[in-house]
Amino acid sequence: MSLALGLVIIPLLAALLMLLWPRLARGLQLAAALLCTILATMLLQLVQQEGSQQLFIGGWNPLLAIRWQADSVTALLLLLSAVLHLLVSGYALAVQQRDKLAAAFWPLSSLLLASLQALWLSRDLFNLYVCLELLGMVAVALVTLSGDKAMRPALHYLLFSLFASLCYLLGVALLYGAYGALDLPLLQGQLQANSLTAAALVLITLGLMLKAAWWPLHLWLPAAHAAAPAPVSALLSALVVKGPLFILVLVWTTLAPAAFLNVAAYAFLVCALGALLLAGVAALRTPYSKTLVAYSTVAQLGYAMLALALMLSFNLPVFTAALWLFVMAHALAKAACFLSIGEMQQTLGVKKVAQLKGASQTMPLAMFAFAVAGGSLIGLPPSGGFLAKWVMLLGLWQAQQYFLLLVLLVATLVSAAYIFRVVVLAFDRAEPTAPDFSPQLLPQWLALLPALAVWAMAFFSMPLLAILQQELS
Amino acid sequence: MGLLLFDLVLATVVLLLAGTAIFSRNLTHAVMLFMAFGVMMALAWARLAAPDLALAEAAIGAGLTGALCFTALVRQPAALDSKVATSLLPICFVALITAALLFSVWQIPVSPNPALSHEVSVALPQSGVAHPVTAVLLNFRSWDTLLELLVLLLALLGAQQAQSSLTLYAGWSLSLSWSRLLSPLIILLTGYLLWRGAAAPGGAFQAGALLASGLVVLRLNQQLTWLSWQNPWVRLAALSGLLVFVLTGLFSLLWSSSRLWLEWPTAYAGAVILGIESFATLAIAVTLTLLVVGEPTEERADA
Amino acid sequence: MLSLYVYFTLATLLIGFGAYGVWRGPELLRRILALNIMGAGIFLLMVTLAYRPVLQGEPADSVLHALVLTGLVVAVSATAFALALLGRILQKGKA
Repeated sequence: MSLALGLVIIPLLAALLMLLWPRLARGLQLAAALLCTILATMLLQLVQQEGSQQLFIGGWNPLLAIRWQADSVTALLLLLSAVLHLLVSGYALAVQQRDKLAAAFWPLSSLLLASLQALWLSRDLFNLYVCLELLGMVAVALVTLSGDKAMRPALHYLLFSLFASLCYLLGVALLYGAYGALDLPLLQGQLQANSLTAAALVLITLGLMLKAAWWPLHLWLPAAHAAAPAPVSALLSALVVKGPLFILVLVWTTLAPAAFLNVAAYAFLVCALGALLLAGVAALRTPYSKTLVAYSTVAQLGYAMLALALMLSFNLPVFTAALWLFVMAHALAKAACFLSIGEMQQTLGVKKVAQLKGASQTMPLAMFAFAVAGGSLIGLPPSGGFLAKWVMLLGLWQAQQYFLLLVLLVATLVSAAYIFRVVVLAFDRAEPTAPDFSPQLLPQWLALLPALAVWAMAFFSMPLLAILQQELS
Repeated sequence: MGLLLFDLVLATVVLLLAGTAIFSRNLTHAVMLFMAFGVMMALAWARLAAPDLALAEAAIGAGLTGALCFTALVRQPAALDSKVATSLLPICFVALITAALLFSVWQIPVSPNPALSHEVSVALPQSGVAHPVTAVLLNFRSWDTLLELLVLLLALLGAQQAQSSLTLYAGWSLSLSWSRLLSPLIILLTGYLLWRGAAAPGGAFQAGALLASGLVVLRLNQQLTWLSWQNPWVRLAALSGLLVFVLTGLFSLLWSSSRLWLEWPTAYAGAVILGIESFATLAIAVTLTLLVVGEPTEERADA
Repeated sequence: MLSLYVYFTLATLLIGFGAYGVWRGPELLRRILALNIMGAGIFLLMVTLAYRPVLQGEPADSVLHALVLTGLVVAVSATAFALALLGRILQKGKA
């Protein structure tokens, strides 16, 4: 577990040192990001060889201590966040001078990584509350880096986030009142199906859904994600909304009594359909390019919800694998989308989708990155998004859910529509929007990297599936 | 019987204050009522055998939050009376949900699961302190406390992004001399609270909040002009709590037998906890002060 | 015994008031106050839960007290941040 400890402590210490010596910030950021990626890879290997690792912080017994657990899903998520942090840091380093990125970006993004890693590892209901609150505050602080125009979305985001964490805390308090423990593995199987447990679970779910921007509780997300600077939007959409999702999956797979699972599955299913179709349509209609990408996050989270709903009602291992594959594919693809759109916005000096006209000519590389990442969001083979969708289709076929197969098809068409809306415009070469200054190559390449990574996921499909299956056996 | 009567009166007063703070048409009134609400809550904590919380609430709920709210109130546009009428439908909706919640809350068993409390009392002698709340905060669940210090730091970092200029007015000579008189007293009390935390209610946060209130008073009277985030020593002080916490934790990896994160060896636990708490107090005080006062532009005293 | 239910009820009603205030506002400052009132309700619920052993002649639940103390600090930090954002928004609105 010292590897896991390093994953939390290194970015934390790096952030503190950056605050003390702002001049060293960039070097520290890069060093910490690299080190974390290496440690996360080692941890993944270790977990694969020796099974899941545990740590009781302070060495107290399970009831008293806070438990950290690194199973294979956690190890994958740790690696995913470290890699994305590294990629985004690289992009931020490349554009910081041009975009006048505030100096506070470096310590804040390091703290974001630290709080995310702490969240993936924790298995204690109250510690998860603190992690959530921490994550929310870092996210809001990062949104405010855009200056005055971001203040109002940031405050709304903060208020929603605080309300959500209070709901979660209330649920945890009710559970503690009834069962007298906070440790998730200890509570497993203890919960009785009565109205108190139901109220607690509803509150916890409500809070987490708000934080994860699940349709119909997503209203804060598009404004906040669109207002933030490009590297921040990439981190927020790719990683921050996945934190509460992770807790939600933990709570419903370990805590919830069997009697509640069907009802919950139906509720999640309705939300998933709403997200996939309505948020997709919203993405199709919005005039602003960053808002389009932000709505696409809400829509894509629908797949994760769908996978969770199916996981609860059918208990087939394929759906668990599909869920985490979606999370990973979406994180990489969305990071690439935000970075490339941000790059085009900065260079072309435009905000609306319509003004991206001819971008394939003026900024071919960034447009390529967007198209490639978009391909994974649609689920074109052979990308990570395709892999996730394929696994889910297999599961649906197995479970004989033909209606949902159809829904999945329609959702795919909707996502294809909003991606092609941008791509088609970009290939309209008559009267392209002229760039304000000559496009820089390095940031465009860096925006392409996560997009390539998501396509590479398809080549590692066998080991990835093996890791995710290991969790279940 | 007398106690029940007290409870009923307290509950009514708290409810009235909260209700009027939310439904009052005038925002200034709402803020005042909210501050009174904070004081009453401190009373409720004391009644419910939670003196640690009463101390903390008295220091922050009534003091610091109030100061923060008033700063925001000053900036509110002049038209303070809100015109939006309270409509019936949302009230009914919230009332329905509250009733459902109340129904669930009443089902919480009156006799709690004693396992965890028992565990605390068993482990207390090895924790290095005699006061169980301090033992939980700085030993059993010290990771929570570390993250909590981080949340506080983040609030400061976030607030700096949203810096708005606040003008300090040249102090009134009377308030100036009073604040000078007050400061040694506050430092003394802070030390006492901190020290007491090992055995009785009190501890880093209460002491830090108290010290912060002293610093705020001095700062608002244009003393301590060096207290700014730009000053590297102030930064070091604000980060000291976290730094010491993390470094002690790393040290414990080397030094304890089982090499566990944040495990204090029983023999030194008391000293380690006191050390962490002292730096945490300093960090909390400096952070809260910077949060409340910000980086004001000073008005010349002779202006 | 009855006191316990008085405080349970008080806590729930505070949460209800707070939730209503957060939802309906109308001013942002009032929403922040309402969040604090809702938080106070939740903390009161937790402290009341911690008080249960006292009725049986045992000391109060110190774990819950510690959790509430952590929660209080988190709540104050968040409030301070929210008020700083609000201050900036209002100042810009005035200018």
